[in-house]
Amino acid sequence: MKRLTTCRFICFNPSVLPVVKCRWNGRRVLLLLLISLGVTTLYAQEQQEQQPAIPAEIGVQQSEKAPLLSGIAVGADIVGFIMKVVGSKFANMEVNARLNILDKYFPVAELGIGDCHREGAETGNTFSTTSPYMRFGIDYNFNKKHNGNRLFGIFRYGFSSFTYDIGNDNFTDPVYGNSVALQLNSQKATAQWLEFGVGVETKLWSIVRLGWSMRYKSRISMKSPDEGTPYFIPGFGKNDSNGWGGTVNLIFDVGKTTKKTKSKVKSNKVAADK
Amino acid sequence: MKHCLPFLLSVLLFAACETYDCTLYNYVGMYAAFDREGAKVQINDTLTITSGKSGPVLLNHSVNTSSLNLPLSYWQDEDTLVLSVTGPDYFIQDTIWIEKSNQIHYESPDCPTTLFHTIENVRSTHEFIHSITIMRSSVNYETTNNLQIHLL
Repeated sequence: MKRLTTCRFICFNPSVLPVVKCRWNGRRVLLLLLISLGVTTLYAQEQQEQQPAIPAEIGVQQSEKAPLLSGIAVGADIVGFIMKVVGSKFANMEVNARLNILDKYFPVAELGIGDCHREGAETGNTFSTTSPYMRFGIDYNFNKKHNGNRLFGIFRYGFSSFTYDIGNDNFTDPVYGNSVALQLNSQKATAQWLEFGVGVETKLWSIVRLGWSMRYKSRISMKSPDEGTPYFIPGFGKNDSNGWGGTVNLIFDVGKTTKKTKSKVKSNKVAADK
Repeated sequence: MKHCLPFLLSVLLFAACETYDCTLYNYVGMYAAFDREGAKVQINDTLTITSGKSGPVLLNHSVNTSSLNLPLSYWQDEDTLVLSVTGPDYFIQDTIWIEKSNQIHYESPDCPTTLFHTIENVRSTHEFIHSITIMRSSVNYETTNNLQIHLL
């Protein structure tokens, strides 16, 4: 079956502008700003790491080792909430909780509500859902220095069992002419997907941290009624075999990430005396 | 410029496409063919098909017709097709009743919604039609024959 593809957001190739619709809506601009904030955070973090280290105390060798349970954190993806406040057509509003094991492994649970209300401009078709989703997985911190900055590799398993409404207030038979209000409510569907990505995180103040992640999402299964597939999967985004997503997390991290062990070393002078 | 780099990179990164994956060939029709004693035949004279006595014209003054491609109604449980054949010195009519169920086929807010059908029973009068066999009950995007109309 052939499928028609219409590109709507190419804005950097002037040669294709006449044939595509370029639409910079508020949601996209907001997303760009937030993502740029995340990239800037990464930039700031790198700058911070480039600063010269404070010399260690003379005669004292200092080693850092993170405790087994180095902390517990809770947070929220602020993008989803802002998108909802500004009236975006869809938003994933989520909170998360995670453990910090050795400042290297971070088992994570993310729970949220996916919200989408959309009407086709040319068709009059509507789609609506407000349903929960959950993700479980782990973050791996590649930064071996326990300086509060983290560079993550991200893996998630996502699941949503959701209901949605589809309809069209003026659905017309093109041959026989009669119009009927089409309304299919509470259609039930389930979807599972995997996410892989990278993220950065840095300490802002005290227990407050800001993190940013970018994820590739791959749908592994979906069940939906024959009458209509869902346009949007809560937690996943627009229904497709794969997609991209991102988060900007405000995190409250309680824990001690470093445990300093000090051991005196013998100075050359002492050795000479002996 | 150095400080603008992260922002520019993020803009480039997220200037992606949103696609509409709509079905390109989205016509839903019922396909039928004529035969007489197993051999494919065509109706040489003028064939007109209407929905009922006063409904829309579905096929207008077709000649040398060997197959049909007709839209079914979206919401009716039974469609009535009146087949009128006009020759040089004759006019005959047969009526076909198609009992069906209708299934909504919704793809997305941006794609046209259509209806698929399942043909449950077909009967007709017998002026020039002998009988009708349901070959494929599902009426959807496929173009293989749904009905085989056996002529007298």
